[in-house]
Amino acid sequence: MEITLLAFFAVGYFVLAGADLGVGALLPYLGRSDDERGRVLASITPFFLGNEVWLIASAGILVGAFPVLEGELLSGMYVPFVMLLLGWVVRDAGIWLRGRVDRAGWRGGCDGAVATGSWVVVLSWGFILPGMGQESVTGLAAAIVVPAVVALFCAHGLAFAGLRLDGGPRERARRFYGASSERTIYALTSGGMALVCLLAGSRLPLAENLADPATLALLTPSLLVITPVLVASQVWLWRVFGRAPVRSQ
Amino acid sequence: METLDLARLQFALTAGAHFLFVALTLGLATLVAIMQTRATLTGSAVHMRMTRFWGRLYVINYAMGIVTGLVMEFQFGLAWNGLTHFAGNVFGASLAMETLVAFFVESTFLGLWIFGWDRLNRWAHLGVLWVVTLTAYASAYWIMVSNGFLQNPVGAEVAGGVLRLTDAAAVLANPAALTAFGHILCGALLVAGFFVAGVSAHHLRRGTGEQEFFRRSLRIGVFTALPAVMATAALGGAQFDTAQPMKIAVYAGRTEEVARLQAEMVAAHGPGDYVPPAGLVQGSGTAMMILFALMMGVAWLSALLALFPWAVRRLRIWHVVLTAMIPLPFAAMLAGWVFREVGRQPWAVYGLLTTEDALSDLSPGAIRFSLAAFTLLFGLLVAVNTWLLARNARQGPADTAAAPVSAEPLPAPVF
Repeated sequence: MEITLLAFFAVGYFVLAGADLGVGALLPYLGRSDDERGRVLASITPFFLGNEVWLIASAGILVGAFPVLEGELLSGMYVPFVMLLLGWVVRDAGIWLRGRVDRAGWRGGCDGAVATGSWVVVLSWGFILPGMGQESVTGLAAAIVVPAVVALFCAHGLAFAGLRLDGGPRERARRFYGASSERTIYALTSGGMALVCLLAGSRLPLAENLADPATLALLTPSLLVITPVLVASQVWLWRVFGRAPVRSQ
Repeated sequence: METLDLARLQFALTAGAHFLFVALTLGLATLVAIMQTRATLTGSAVHMRMTRFWGRLYVINYAMGIVTGLVMEFQFGLAWNGLTHFAGNVFGASLAMETLVAFFVESTFLGLWIFGWDRLNRWAHLGVLWVVTLTAYASAYWIMVSNGFLQNPVGAEVAGGVLRLTDAAAVLANPAALTAFGHILCGALLVAGFFVAGVSAHHLRRGTGEQEFFRRSLRIGVFTALPAVMATAALGGAQFDTAQPMKIAVYAGRTEEVARLQAEMVAAHGPGDYVPPAGLVQGSGTAMMILFALMMGVAWLSALLALFPWAVRRLRIWHVVLTAMIPLPFAAMLAGWVFREVGRQPWAVYGLLTTEDALSDLSPGAIRFSLAAFTLLFGLLVAVNTWLLARNARQGPADTAAAPVSAEPLPAPVF
């Protein structure tokens, strides 16, 4: 049950936040002017905080139900995880701060922070995901797997941008779809995200590293009770902000 | 410096930077929730504008609390996997509860509040802010349960080289967690009280428009700060009963007591130095006490002066003092943390696991890199946040009057 919970939250993160990371990484491509980049970011701002907490929840389940594994996993890939955190902080700061000062230079700097930070996060995942269950990826494996993970994030971001934007950014996102609809593409890239997450997770020795039964007897029921509430709060968020796409003025 | 010292410095910087933001966030959320409640119940325009103005400062600050908190959560597994290995069965569970039961809801609802001004009805919007506030409290509670366990490990036993949970109720009601939780909540209200009072005093002194707005705000700040400083001091005093005897003996400079406790520890745990660094413990403890005395004096005086309308309008010297007070509660908070955490050294889990044994097996290069990167980044964030808060606070509520979000279908987070 603990493994199912972990998988649920981890897949939630890669499907939901994977899209806003992809959008962030492709910000310079999707938005060609200050105004366009503002609209591209507006498509993710109400959601990104609610998206990234899925990873925080996953890390919480990992430390609560698999504490020894959490310590070994994070310290074993110390530098990639530190890079992930650095990129994450820089990118979030860019998103939060962009609207705070009404100057083109400030917005440009924040856009740069969002794009750079998103790239660092996506690249870090490129190293972390295939490295799970072993030390780290190097050589040929890294040369194939890392770009593949990065490409998946970008494709997922493009699918989301196609769904949530109009005008120039949407056209630029759609260029890669061929004849398929945005929804089809989004469903496909979401499936890809979920698959990559589950493949990486399946290589972790989870069953061997469960916390003590006395801990799980209390923790697991609490998590099972709270999870529907968490999902409901997220559904509410998406219902309130997710209906209308971001339109140009 | 050794890897151990670098890792400790990194943790201290992360926790310290995080806590600067969190302290204001916790307290300000409460005050903004009360303002919005009043505005929603009575339809008072000035209270709605207060909600928007102080709410904007709250959101600016909240963002920085989140990004530093991310690093905080991963810090244990990254640099202290001896702790997750030894104490994970207890310590990990309360961290897990914090992320799922508190922070997840808090973040989702904060998004609803920031962007939901025009999209939710006013009662739902008010309810959303209260959920954010109460889950922030819950978050603080779970973190203090984790920290309280490290200070005073109850409800668990060592079996096979690791801790196992034996009494969950004892962990949840650990006095080292509960008194500190109360101390911190009141401390957060103290931070917010002096912040609101200090910013308001600045506007009153400068004679900017919005006199009524800031007279009301100043009173809210002052009448929050006074009870908060008294409760914080009381709950701080209560902690001396549950604190480790060694910490207290070192702080009080009782040399014989320190020597006796050291001999006791050696007898129980083998040879070693079990005395925390006296300079830091005494320095931080004394700084906290002096700052409290100052804040207590100013809070009492201010509560008296706030009863006289002429003083609120025109007593410029008092306005200057109030604005100058803004950084003091932050400094007291940090000093309190140093006292609490350094005072329990050399233990990570008191009496059970040393800080040295809690350290992950890290290369000196890796920790140097991360320490330099986080220091640079957090230094920048603290600077940007302080500048933005000051800038927005000085600008006043003028441009928060109009509904800031209705013009755009989905706004950038200007609020």
